[in-house]
Formats: sequence, C-alpha cells, structure tokens
Amino acid sequence: MPAASQIKVMVVDDQASMRAMIRRALQDFGFKDVRDKPTATEALPAIKSDRVHLVISDYNMPEMDGLAFLEAVRKDEVLAKTVFIMLTGSSDREVVQKAAALGVNNYLVKPFAPAALKEKIERVFGALT
Amino acid sequence: MRTIPIIQGEHAVVNEEGVVISTLLGSCIAVCLHDAEKRIGGMNHFLLGEPGPDQKLNASELQRYGLHAMELLINATMKAGAQRQNLRAHLYGGANIIAGLGGIGTANAAFAKRFLETEGIAIGHVDTGGNRARKVEFRPYDGKVRSRCVADVPPPPVPERKPEHCGEIELF
Repeated sequence: MPAASQIKVMVVDDQASMRAMIRRALQDFGFKDVRDKPTATEALPAIKSDRVHLVISDYNMPEMDGLAFLEAVRKDEVLAKTVFIMLTGSSDREVVQKAAALGVNNYLVKPFAPAALKEKIERVFGALT
Repeated sequence: MRTIPIIQGEHAVVNEEGVVISTLLGSCIAVCLHDAEKRIGGMNHFLLGEPGPDQKLNASELQRYGLHAMELLINATMKAGAQRQNLRAHLYGGANIIAGLGGIGTANAAFAKRFLETEGIAIGHVDTGGNRARKVEFRPYDGKVRSRCVADVPPPPVPERKPEHCGEIELF
C-alpha cells in the first residue's frame, strides 16, 4: 500500500475555509502533495494533467456538483480509476446512493473530524503510514 | 410580521416579505447573510468558532462550530437562489458575559470575521463584543437588522438533540 507521502491529492470545495481545513488534516496524516480547487470545472483538467491519485470533493458546489464531477471522472479513460471520496451534507441520502451507483470509492458526511477522513481514505488505500 | 426564532445550532433562510428571523445571543455568534438583488437572506447562530488543533471531537460535537454552521447557511442561501458574489454579511454577538471563560466571545467574533474574509464575503455591520446579551432581529427580504442589548436575559437553554446523520447509510 502506498504511504501517504506518495499519494497525490486534489481537494475540491467551493469554500476556502473547508479546503484549508482538509489540507491541514491531510498534511497531518503525512500527505505531501495536496492541491485544491474551488470548482469541479477547474479541478477536472488539473487532476488529468497532474495525475492525481485521490480526489476529495464536496457534493454541494455551484456550476458542476459533486455527482456530475464524479460522473465526468468515471467516464474519462485516463481518470476513470482515480479514487474519489465525496463529502456530503447530512440530508444527502439520495446523493450518496447516486454516488455509489456512479462508482464513488467512499463518502463522508459533514461535519467530520479529521480522524473520520483518515479512516475513509485508509479503507481505500490501506494504512497510510 | 411573522417571526422565526432560531437557537444555537440552527439557521433559517427566507425570501419573502414580512418575515423576521430572531435570536438571542450571549457569547455565540449570529451571521446574517443577505443578497439585496435577489431579496434573500438567512441567519445562523453558532456556539463556538472552530475547534483547536488538538481537540478530538465527534461529528455531533462539530455541529456546534462555526465552520459547519457557516457552510450550512451559505449553502441554504444559495439553494434559495442567492448569488454568492452578492452576499453581504452582518455579524452579531460574541459577548464575554461570564468572566473567566478566556474571552470566548472575542474568539468567536474573530473566527466569524476571519471566515468571511477567507471566503471573500463582504462584511457590513458588525456589533460584537461587550459583556451583555443581544437580541438580533433580521428582515431577510430587505436586509434590515436590529441588534439591541438585553442585559440580564440569559440565552435560552439548548435542547438535547441527536446527531443529524445518525442514520448514515452503510455502503462501504
């Protein structure tokens, strides 16, 4: 299993404060290569050019929401196998089911503690350290 | 005039005339967001700014914090039709009512201001600090706010509530 330091991560959330909080948490887990974007539209070309391994994306975003983003990733030949973890609001039960159908690797309900994020990542990648 | 009272941990968003959102604050913060063009507004009420870096909290405890409360308010306001670039915020509360609590009200107000600056949301009226409780009444349709000190009126007790997502779906 890759150590956290070898995994390239893209964080996508329209709120800068949330992106900053997730970045801090990922750095605490040992991730070295973390980037972020405020919209899925900006993130899509960046994850392709940067060969990102893990996308952590909010669902509730303007322009392209998390489901449309996930669908675009899964339909892209190059990106299709990228690990995708979606962040949802507490009332997004239907969203989680749709995300599962589209092939999301895991999801996390906001608000979440950093330990919960680590656990979700480790369920996909295995132990990070 | 219809009044929607909110308490700690709640928010309300309204886009109709003749409605007031009200709350009673001590060291808590209420942020009023308003889109003057769309005539949509909302208010939240949160207990604490943000957890310390070493605090171990579960999901239900995190719901008391401003980071979550602000996201809920912004999302709800936009869902109602507001445009993010039009949003203007007014800040209230953050009093240091009980001596010896380490300036929790001041820290809360600082968090709210920092959050709004980080998110690029314009800040309008600010009435924070002091050592007295405030009653805040917000008219979301026209964006008018009245904040007045109400000494000796303690904030209402917060009812016990279950974490909102205790019915989390098990898919993975």
